[in-house]
Amino acid sequence: MIVKSLAVRLGGALLTVLLASLVAFVILRVLPGDPVRLILGPLAGSRALAAERSALGLDQPIYIQYVTYVAAFVHGNWGFDYNSGQPILAEVTARLPASLELGFYALLLAFVGAVLTAVAAVYFNWKGPDYFFRAGAYFSLGSPPFWVGLMALIVFVQYLGVLPGPTGRLSTGVPAPPTLTHFYTFDAILSGQWGTFVDAARHLLLPAATLGLASYGYLYRLLRNSLLQVVDEEFMAVCRSKGLTRWQTMFRHALPNSLLPAVTGGGLLVAQLVAGSVLVETVYNWPGVGQLVVQSILVREYGVVEAFVLLSALAFVAVNLVVDALYVLIDPRVRRPA
Amino acid sequence: MAGSQSPASVPGEAIGALRARTGGDLTRFLHRGVAWLSARRELALGLGIVALIVVFAVVGPWVWRQSPLQVNLSQSLQPPMASHPFGTDELGRDILARTMAGAQLDLLVALAVTLAGGALGLMVGLVSAMSRGLVDILIMRVLDALLAFPPLILALAVAVALGAGTVSASIGIAVSVIPYYARLMRSEVLRVRSLPYVDAAVASGSGRFRLIRRHIVPHTWGTMLIQASSAVGYAVLTLAALGFVGLGVQEPTAEWGTMITSGLQYVLSGQWWIGVFPGLGLLALVTACSLVADGLSVHGSSGAAPTVLGGGGQEP
Repeated sequence: MIVKSLAVRLGGALLTVLLASLVAFVILRVLPGDPVRLILGPLAGSRALAAERSALGLDQPIYIQYVTYVAAFVHGNWGFDYNSGQPILAEVTARLPASLELGFYALLLAFVGAVLTAVAAVYFNWKGPDYFFRAGAYFSLGSPPFWVGLMALIVFVQYLGVLPGPTGRLSTGVPAPPTLTHFYTFDAILSGQWGTFVDAARHLLLPAATLGLASYGYLYRLLRNSLLQVVDEEFMAVCRSKGLTRWQTMFRHALPNSLLPAVTGGGLLVAQLVAGSVLVETVYNWPGVGQLVVQSILVREYGVVEAFVLLSALAFVAVNLVVDALYVLIDPRVRRPA
Repeated sequence: MAGSQSPASVPGEAIGALRARTGGDLTRFLHRGVAWLSARRELALGLGIVALIVVFAVVGPWVWRQSPLQVNLSQSLQPPMASHPFGTDELGRDILARTMAGAQLDLLVALAVTLAGGALGLMVGLVSAMSRGLVDILIMRVLDALLAFPPLILALAVAVALGAGTVSASIGIAVSVIPYYARLMRSEVLRVRSLPYVDAAVASGSGRFRLIRRHIVPHTWGTMLIQASSAVGYAVLTLAALGFVGLGVQEPTAEWGTMITSGLQYVLSGQWWIGVFPGLGLLALVTACSLVADGLSVHGSSGAAPTVLGGGGQEP
């Protein structure tokens, strides 16, 4: 039964991805009058335009163009970045670990922060902390990430001088740790380079906190509301009456039950992180995919943008699929035959 | 908060009921209105902030008569002082005047985008819900595909395709909000449609269009109003984000996002004031929009919860 409901979800996700690729195709290849001009930029010569046009198959009928477009993406022929002189696929792959590491720590900070503050707000059942954290959630949801980054740079780098400036993943002159997991923090620990680890962590702190801020606000509101609901349920009274302290009921019984809605929000969080990374990586000069996208926009190198748009949809659908699968595994109530 | 007194479900109905009860007596109407608002502190706070920003954008330029575009290189990068309360930027332009001009532009674009995207989204949702069958399935599939993109990225793609600029950024943002409106509208119409009084209307001879116009659509306004106030905040934030990556409003027009971009170039050389004030404006406006949306939805009776709005290109 689990397998069947998962298969149905997988089929739906594949269909969505296919339609999403059609949407991307229509927006980026059909909407602009001349997509080749868009990809190659205003300075390209007529021979380059003609070559790219036949390379993209733009002299073909539109449905064949779509099929070639999807086939090329699946085969990894994402085109060529004329700005850096590299294939786009290679460039994105090279930059992906930086983005993933940033996203991982952003999510970690947001999640830990949201759990701690939501539990605190509900546990200390008085208005002070709750008002404070709720105001914080409004702030985190309402502030543009690139502005928060600017403020953080002003306060922590320019004024206090306690954290390194936007120099990327490591200070200049610090060599990258040997590649094991592609995450600099993990690699540095695994190879015992503590100095490099501290440097990488100090560089990660501000970007990850900035990127995680919006996710924190979202998670806090979700967790607080579901905690308030769970706390009112009858089994909480049972837990208390069998002798558990309030703290134990809170952490061992209320919290796990209230995490379920947070799992559902996983897809939204990923969308938030992908969109936010474009902005935050630019602020902190973080050598990830988001920074590449903004740099490409500025020099009108739209092949990169095209690949990124489709990739972000793919990531979003994939995460939603995983979330659905997790949900089926965690919550038996969802295991109905479709 | 303030959950004890919730007489009416949807704000529009509440105002109508108030008017009926007060019998047109203006002072009593206002009195009740204030009481109604003071029972909804989030809504009152949000509306208050929005009103302040509107005054800042509309009345401000009449009081502070400096041009947002006037370049004065001898006055470049001046810190805040009496003649330039917010300082000047790298071209010596007055940042207070530019923040006001940016507020005008952002409010205007947000309103236009919310109305245009909202109108289209409502139509799509209505058609989808009323037609059912194959058309419904088809529309929902396409909406799912649009929802597969993070909204900021969808807006960005459209802006790239149409060429950087205020208009194409606005179109991009409008396109990215359509699926959210449409999905919500569809579920609202389906909810209202299943209520018994709709059957009664059909039985008493209402035609299809009368049914939609008189009996179904009016009952979706409450939820749609909540969604729209979220969408205004999203539109402001996304316009700034697109400006930040160079796809939105172009120099020299004053816009909050591009002002923050230029602030970033001078942050490490100590000129902190360039990007701070437009960012504060953004924060205030977006927060006010989510306060309004929350204040409205606390007492909203409808089943469908509108999507939560927030920073960096989240769901509208």
